[in-house]
Amino acid sequence: MIWTLALPELVLAVSGLVILAAGVIPKRDTFFPVSMACVGALLLTAVLVLGQGDGTALSGHYVSDAFSGYMKFLALAAAAVGILLSLDYNEKEGLARFEFPILMLFATLGMMVMISANDLLSLYIGLELLSLPLYVIAAFNRDSGRSAEAGLKYFVLGALASGLLLYGTTLVYGFAGTTNFDRLGEAFSALEGVSPGVVVGVVFVITGLAFKVSAVPFHMWTPDVYEGAPTPVTAFFASAPKVAAIALLARVLLGPFGDLVGQWSQVITLISLGSMILGGFAAIGQRNLKRLMAYSSIGHVGYALMGLAVGTDIGLRGLLVYMAIYVFMNLGTFAVLVSMRRQGRAVEGVDDLAGLGRTDPVTAMWMAVFMFSMAGIPPLAGFFGKLYVFLAAVQAGYWTLAVVGVLTSVVSAYYYLRIVKVMYFDAPAGSLDRAPSSLTLVMAGTGLFTVLFALWPAPMLAAAQAAAAALLG
Amino acid sequence: MHDAIYLLAAVLLPYLGAVVAALLPANARLLAWLAGCVALATLAMVGLGFAAIEAGGLPRFDLAWAPELGLSFSLRMDGFAGLFAFMVSGIGVLIVLYARYYMSPEDPIPRFFAFLLAFMGSMMGVVLSGNLIQLVFFWELTSLFSFLLIGYWQNVAAARNGARMALTVTAGGGLALFAGVLILGHIVGSYELDAVLASGEAIRAHPLYLPALVLILLGAMTKSAQFPFHFWLPHAMAAPTPVSAYLHSATLVKAGIFLMARLWPVLAGTDAWFNILCPVGLITLLLGAYVAIFQHDMKALLAYSTISHLGLITLLLSLNSDLAMVAAVFHTVNHATFKASLFMAAGIIDHETGTRDIRRLSGLNESMPFTARLALVAAAAMAGVPLLNGFISKEMFFSEALTVATATSVLHGILPVAATLASILAVTYSLRFIHGAFFGPPVDDLPKQPHEPPQFMRVPVEVLVFLCIVVGILPSATIGPLLDKAVRALLGDATPSYSLAVWHGFNLPLAMSLVALAGGIALYRLLYRHLNAGLEGTPLLGFLDGRRAFEQVMVFISWRFARALVRLMATDRLQIQLMLMVCTALLAATLALLPHGLAAGDVALTAVDPVVAIIWAVGGACAIAAAYQAKYHRLAALVLLGSTGLATCLTFIWFSAPDLALTQLLVEIVTTVLLLLGLRWMPRRIETAGSGAPLARLRRLRDFVIAAVSGLGLAAISYAMMTRVSPDGISREFLTRAYKEGGGTNVVNVILVDFRGFDTMGEITVLGVVALTVFALLRRFRPAPESVGVPDQQQGDARDWLLVPSVTMRLLFPVIIAVSIYLLLRGHDQPGGGFIAGLMLAVGILVQYMAGGTRWVEDHLRVLPLRWMGFGLLLAVGTGVAATVFGRPFLTSYFAYADLGPLGKLPLASAVIFDLGVFALVFGATVLILIVLAHQSVRSQRAAPPPPPVEALREPAIAGED
Repeated sequence: MIWTLALPELVLAVSGLVILAAGVIPKRDTFFPVSMACVGALLLTAVLVLGQGDGTALSGHYVSDAFSGYMKFLALAAAAVGILLSLDYNEKEGLARFEFPILMLFATLGMMVMISANDLLSLYIGLELLSLPLYVIAAFNRDSGRSAEAGLKYFVLGALASGLLLYGTTLVYGFAGTTNFDRLGEAFSALEGVSPGVVVGVVFVITGLAFKVSAVPFHMWTPDVYEGAPTPVTAFFASAPKVAAIALLARVLLGPFGDLVGQWSQVITLISLGSMILGGFAAIGQRNLKRLMAYSSIGHVGYALMGLAVGTDIGLRGLLVYMAIYVFMNLGTFAVLVSMRRQGRAVEGVDDLAGLGRTDPVTAMWMAVFMFSMAGIPPLAGFFGKLYVFLAAVQAGYWTLAVVGVLTSVVSAYYYLRIVKVMYFDAPAGSLDRAPSSLTLVMAGTGLFTVLFALWPAPMLAAAQAAAAALLG
Repeated sequence: MHDAIYLLAAVLLPYLGAVVAALLPANARLLAWLAGCVALATLAMVGLGFAAIEAGGLPRFDLAWAPELGLSFSLRMDGFAGLFAFMVSGIGVLIVLYARYYMSPEDPIPRFFAFLLAFMGSMMGVVLSGNLIQLVFFWELTSLFSFLLIGYWQNVAAARNGARMALTVTAGGGLALFAGVLILGHIVGSYELDAVLASGEAIRAHPLYLPALVLILLGAMTKSAQFPFHFWLPHAMAAPTPVSAYLHSATLVKAGIFLMARLWPVLAGTDAWFNILCPVGLITLLLGAYVAIFQHDMKALLAYSTISHLGLITLLLSLNSDLAMVAAVFHTVNHATFKASLFMAAGIIDHETGTRDIRRLSGLNESMPFTARLALVAAAAMAGVPLLNGFISKEMFFSEALTVATATSVLHGILPVAATLASILAVTYSLRFIHGAFFGPPVDDLPKQPHEPPQFMRVPVEVLVFLCIVVGILPSATIGPLLDKAVRALLGDATPSYSLAVWHGFNLPLAMSLVALAGGIALYRLLYRHLNAGLEGTPLLGFLDGRRAFEQVMVFISWRFARALVRLMATDRLQIQLMLMVCTALLAATLALLPHGLAAGDVALTAVDPVVAIIWAVGGACAIAAAYQAKYHRLAALVLLGSTGLATCLTFIWFSAPDLALTQLLVEIVTTVLLLLGLRWMPRRIETAGSGAPLARLRRLRDFVIAAVSGLGLAAISYAMMTRVSPDGISREFLTRAYKEGGGTNVVNVILVDFRGFDTMGEITVLGVVALTVFALLRRFRPAPESVGVPDQQQGDARDWLLVPSVTMRLLFPVIIAVSIYLLLRGHDQPGGGFIAGLMLAVGILVQYMAGGTRWVEDHLRVLPLRWMGFGLLLAVGTGVAATVFGRPFLTSYFAYADLGPLGKLPLASAVIFDLGVFALVFGATVLILIVLAHQSVRSQRAAPPPPPVEALREPAIAGED
């Protein structure tokens, strides 16, 4: 048993426990040091991930390859930034409890387990380890009815989705005789025909995972939860867990179920189409930025899934690049959202941004960068994300996907650009408070990534290429 | 190598200049110098590049950009690209000079020049791109920077709306173009322009030709303001005049023309090309010219005339004739020169008089004679007066119209007539522009006293007008070589012989020109009175309001459609979301099963035992009843749920799994009781929901059907799965090794305490932590008094509540303890074990709570759960450590039997001690949770009437440890 392969996870788990113990003991408030320690633990884990070797461990339940490395790195970075986003917000909203970053840390551990899962059971364990802290932090603002409602809704629906996933796992085990990805893959490629029971199992597994990425038709919780949860939590929801769930979906579908591509490709295509269309249109009417970002994230997941529906290595590479770009521009956008306060009170309406271009040019500039990037306007990173998935869809002959993708980009460009218009052209609605330095740091970092990606796309493409190759063999 | 540097510099210099300009302080003179130098340098680079073409080369620049995708950043300049690059940079220089005097010092000057230069760089990128994806990239950049330029005066509502409209239309079209380019690249297998241009045949023969064509033309038509996308252009006139002069003469709107001409060799030549573009061009040509006549704003007049001229060029491109192609390229250049000068002239008038309204202006010929002469010449070029450049290209247009008119189709046939008509209209609006502003009596009620502009503000106009005249008189000596290079780059060897002479003899085109001039003058005279009446709007076409249509479409998409979609696809009601999730899963499973079906497996079935059948029927009925009662009577639902669980336990027993059954039974009991306790905090029943309204009944029926179908479906799939041979697990191995190595025959227990002893230790630790957490969370919890009614049992007079059952339960307590110990001791070999025994003992306490009430139990029983838990954990760990004392690995077990004579044999495995630890911990943890939950009922007592004096309220033992 080569447990050392799972060193990053073990280190993260142990650090989480140590930080928890250290956070409980002092009488005074330990939110800030604990947050910093959590960020440190995440960074340390990221370093370990970079040095992680390839192979399987823990009786084949755990796999480490270039794909897992890429996605874990992304998830860890997103989680670390997520904690940074919460520092100032939680202090001001009275949510500065040391459990908060620790819950995020454990959720991240769950993501890593998910990403490295090589068995339906470790997949499930990772998923639950991810979900349970998320239920709690969604409802972290206990005095807010909206936050409590968000947590409860997420929990009830999430439990149902987990149930579906577990049932699907059972069916797969019952009809195929194993839950290990490698052996499932062998079973499917060896058999003449696949039992329909397995297909139903796969369908349920996809259903459970589609809920986690909030793709249509499992999207309905997203706007409510995103709006209700504290803003840094929403930022976290919209980034790291999406990466993990998409990674898992890709690994499950392209790995063991890779030979059933004909069966699931249509499902993913439909999900992708639905998500793009809904994400494009439903966001238009939103006045609340968090709700708008919820629909926007649904749309983005649709674009990313386009790469998966194609099912080729080019498609997968497009998906990987898309997710990386999405995560960074999304975190940047949320950094702006988190910083939005007027006289100490958090505001989250589109109209609250009015005239930001004059009252706070720097924040407005970053927000404009993120909005243009999300709309897919060159030369910003978002354009390349779309470019790569569209290229893949076209090359594989998925016309409907590519054309609908382009059309919905036009539609979604409308609401992203409306935000830019509100910021620069509308009369100021009173200036917003100064953004704290932790947030401007995040804005500048993600903003520079978004702007400068066009100059050096090669390293990320190469990493994505290696990751895709690792998964598809 | 040098060529590559010229090209790169031509694209990068403007961007570099933009960055520097944005960083400089707002000094108009300095910025203008900077921008002017940058534009000049760019022009020089283009010139150097063009010199390389003259020398027979094809300047290129390639840089690996995203090699994984086979994309490289490549610039390439052939004659055609060079011609456009000349226009972009050359007119750019003039615009900078003009803007230096036009812009007022109050405007944010750095931003203006930064945007202008960045736009210039983007345009250079478009025309010099050697790669289609890269072209789209720069294309979208031009949309973006034009948006910023049009909306430059942010405080003007018209500018904001115009900018947004332009961006929405052109950037949207750009995305369509992107899709088209992707398809085109797919057909060719490469996005490199060279490769694409080399595979015209393959493209036209490909089944995807039409979609690609439509998408690419959508991009071109939106950019070049072709009907029905023309409406954004007049609204973009809210921009500062230098911007309009630049964007709407030589650059932005010509990008669409550039693209159509660039891809003309590979896309044109088909009926589809003609049938799409010819009507569009024709309508744009006539509509633009007609509407232009009735504009009162000079810039609006020029905007519509631009639309009309763009329509003319599109029409020429659509004709699938090489000569028409030449005419199109030529007219593009001519239009750029005269339209830029006219826009600048209009800007001068606006700048010096304070208005652009033709109705107010008059007689400016006297106050600004130079400007008047210049505008007169430029307008004459626009009208197609001989000896000016507009005339030559218009002649070419006429002769092409006549040539194609020999074809049979109606569309071809009407072209000469339409061309003449359009020219008549063009003469009319040119006349109106000149006559309205410069002739007639001078007026003195203008916002400013009109006078000549600064000398250098006029220079750009002079240069352009000079070009109009020179090209008009000596076409082949001036523009000839340039045009030749451009056309050859497009048509290659197929370039037809054409003549750029002014005089072709008396022929039909000349006659048409004369008719147009005469007709235009006549029409102007006819309309003079009407035009000067100052009526707003265009006669006959007043209903055609592109802006209103655009806004209606926008409102439809952004509000009505979006809202409908949100209503359809989103809800914040949890029940509906749950229902949809179940339905989707059901549908997906059905669809997956539909093609093949799922037959039951081939395992031989045992005969149906009537007793089990009855148990199942009862269990099923209870489950259905529980669901039925769930909303109206929670308590009943819970009890029924318990019965269902009981049926499951019995099934386990029937399947010879007594151990499992016992565990299940206890788990059922504990959860049911905990749920019962939880019910305290729920409203007793929802009175209003049970309305018998037909709609509500229907909804319930629907839910029932969904539930039934899903349940039956799950059952069917499970049945199919369970009737197959189950996969080989590890259970067989445990079965064979349980007694041999673990010394027990109860395999489950052996696994728990021996094979997986370490796991169990972890689990009981977790259990302890959970119990402590629940305790910590609930210790101070008090339900809101208003949400809790005081139960009957606690109303003072209910002392004899459940008297007989409570006595029975109290009597049962010692029995339960005995059974629990029995289960613990025999656990190693027979059903039982520490886990079950602990739960059993906890049930004993639980029963006392139910029988006696919280206060009674707290008075009579003193359990110290924390000590139980600590003892259990220590015992478990101690057993493990003991093994290491004997030199064995942690948690190694030892086993033997003690013969107790008549009492039987007692297994004495060390695992039993471990099991005892498990027992203690499970008991402690369960009771801890139980106590803290049960104590709530006493807490909420605050709102109740004063308790009977006999029983003093006492904190439970555990609460003392707060």
